[in-house]
Amino acid sequence: MEIDVRHIAKLSYLKIEDDEIETYQKQMSDIIQMVEALPDQADFDAKPRVEDAMQLREDEIRPSTPRDKLLQNAPQVEAGCVIVPKTLE
Amino acid sequence: MELIQKTAAQLHRLLRDREITAAEITDAVFAQIAACEPQVQSYLALTEASARKTAALVDQKLAGGEDLPPLAGIPIAVKDNLCTEGVTTTCASKMLYNFVPPYSATVVKKVEENLLPITGKVNLDEFAMGSSCENSHFQKTRNPHDLSRVPGGSSGGSAASVAAGEAVLALGSDTGGSIRQPASFCGIVGLKPTYGAVSRYGLVAFASSLDQVGPMARSCEDAAMLFSAITGADEMDATSCDRGHRADYRDYLARDVKGMTVGIPKEYFGEGIDEEVSSAVMQAAQVFRSLGAQVKEVSLPSSPHALSAYYIISSAEASSNLARFDGVKYGYRSEHYQNLQEMYVNTRTEGFGAEVKRRIMLGTYVLSSGYFDAYYKKGKAFQSALCAEFDACFAGCDFLLTPTVPQTAFKLGENIDDPVKMYKSDICTVPVNIAGLPALAMPCGRDKQGLPIGMQLIGPHFGEDVLLSAGHHYEQATGYQFTVPAIASK
Repeated sequence: MEIDVRHIAKLSYLKIEDDEIETYQKQMSDIIQMVEALPDQADFDAKPRVEDAMQLREDEIRPSTPRDKLLQNAPQVEAGCVIVPKTLE
Repeated sequence: MELIQKTAAQLHRLLRDREITAAEITDAVFAQIAACEPQVQSYLALTEASARKTAALVDQKLAGGEDLPPLAGIPIAVKDNLCTEGVTTTCASKMLYNFVPPYSATVVKKVEENLLPITGKVNLDEFAMGSSCENSHFQKTRNPHDLSRVPGGSSGGSAASVAAGEAVLALGSDTGGSIRQPASFCGIVGLKPTYGAVSRYGLVAFASSLDQVGPMARSCEDAAMLFSAITGADEMDATSCDRGHRADYRDYLARDVKGMTVGIPKEYFGEGIDEEVSSAVMQAAQVFRSLGAQVKEVSLPSSPHALSAYYIISSAEASSNLARFDGVKYGYRSEHYQNLQEMYVNTRTEGFGAEVKRRIMLGTYVLSSGYFDAYYKKGKAFQSALCAEFDACFAGCDFLLTPTVPQTAFKLGENIDDPVKMYKSDICTVPVNIAGLPALAMPCGRDKQGLPIGMQLIGPHFGEDVLLSAGHHYEQATGYQFTVPAIASK
């Protein structure tokens, strides 16, 4: 099974260097070969269990984490906003 | 009195009898950390000052005659993928090397409310992806039983710290075996709770439909105590729920094993499982028989394929969950970029390690156009089939008994270049996550080299009470006593 590592990396927003391609190619092929051994269970639907249905809370307005506290981890901040390279000329 | 050798339950009794203080326990643990950490390397960050503050508060309250939670004063280590407000949470990744969460995970809050001094944040495979702790960006944790061997993973720092006496308890997380496999390699007890039994709020997501937080401890009683403290519904995690169990799982420990039926799934004892491991687990089955349980062979024919389904489902979810790391809101940002696209790509390329990249790419591949039906849909259908097989087993059994890992701890570097070989270390544990079941990993002997062997007790949904009581009876029957290995106590 030939995997186009360069294409998959591009979709994943990752860059794989030329000298790494071969290793990734081999490892990914080994893994895909392993997962392809999965038998077909067409008779089974992927249905959730009724008793484990999620309990959703009321959608109501309540205080949340203050803006400055959330932004303290951002690599670059100005005037309460995160800074990224400009996207429009 | 060697405090670092004691279980949480023993320390609890000594504290209540006023024979020791919480400060003395914390002192002993930090002295052990100072002595062992250069070799074992469990910790990514120590929180000594706040741990001592909590211990002092416990002593003050006990002196005042206050009624405290059972684990008050017992030092605990926290896996570094659980958010701790004001304390770095790195997931052992360069991507989050400087991340200081603005909030704490629900389990961390519960640990704090129960007054356990938190000793620090412990090592893991990057983003909990791995089985040896070798995928950590920062350091390689060693197995306290043999420093040339891995502690297992991904909760390797949690397991090694508890085994080495550098913590009495630890929190780990388990997506495909990440609590149970390191517990087995390090000779301690690890409980992977039922999916939904413990809140995942504040656990950095790897595969959200499989991840669970759970206790790592020195005995089943200790695991029961920590599980009691962290289980329960949480409105911050819509998948968490409450099934009306007793508040203290120690209440279940006395329940008799006599009359229980133990299922031995034959698929877990064949090819690929070490002879020494199989025979140790079979001996444990004899112990359960001698306690009055019935032991019978059962079958889970789909089990051998669970690893394939696991890598499809977990990688698909990981590729989506890890899309959030882009250098904008938190964590690492590349210094090399001309535009936004380059900033995203270079940040992710420089910030993630090789294993994380492999899984993101695998997930992207199985979800990509044209492959979704062939992989993801097939994986989810397989999940339903496996659940049905487990249900059929539990119709006639109270719990199932299997090895936790096919082998004992391997050497550092042994499997690092062959991902598929590394993945096979989780072959006995992944079916449990796929089916959302609880499972208890605990020691059941040693191999010829003196390395711990682990067995796994698998229960029906929310059957943690059955597993903990059966495990507790096994410990009593065999006279099991936790000891810190000599290599780490030097």
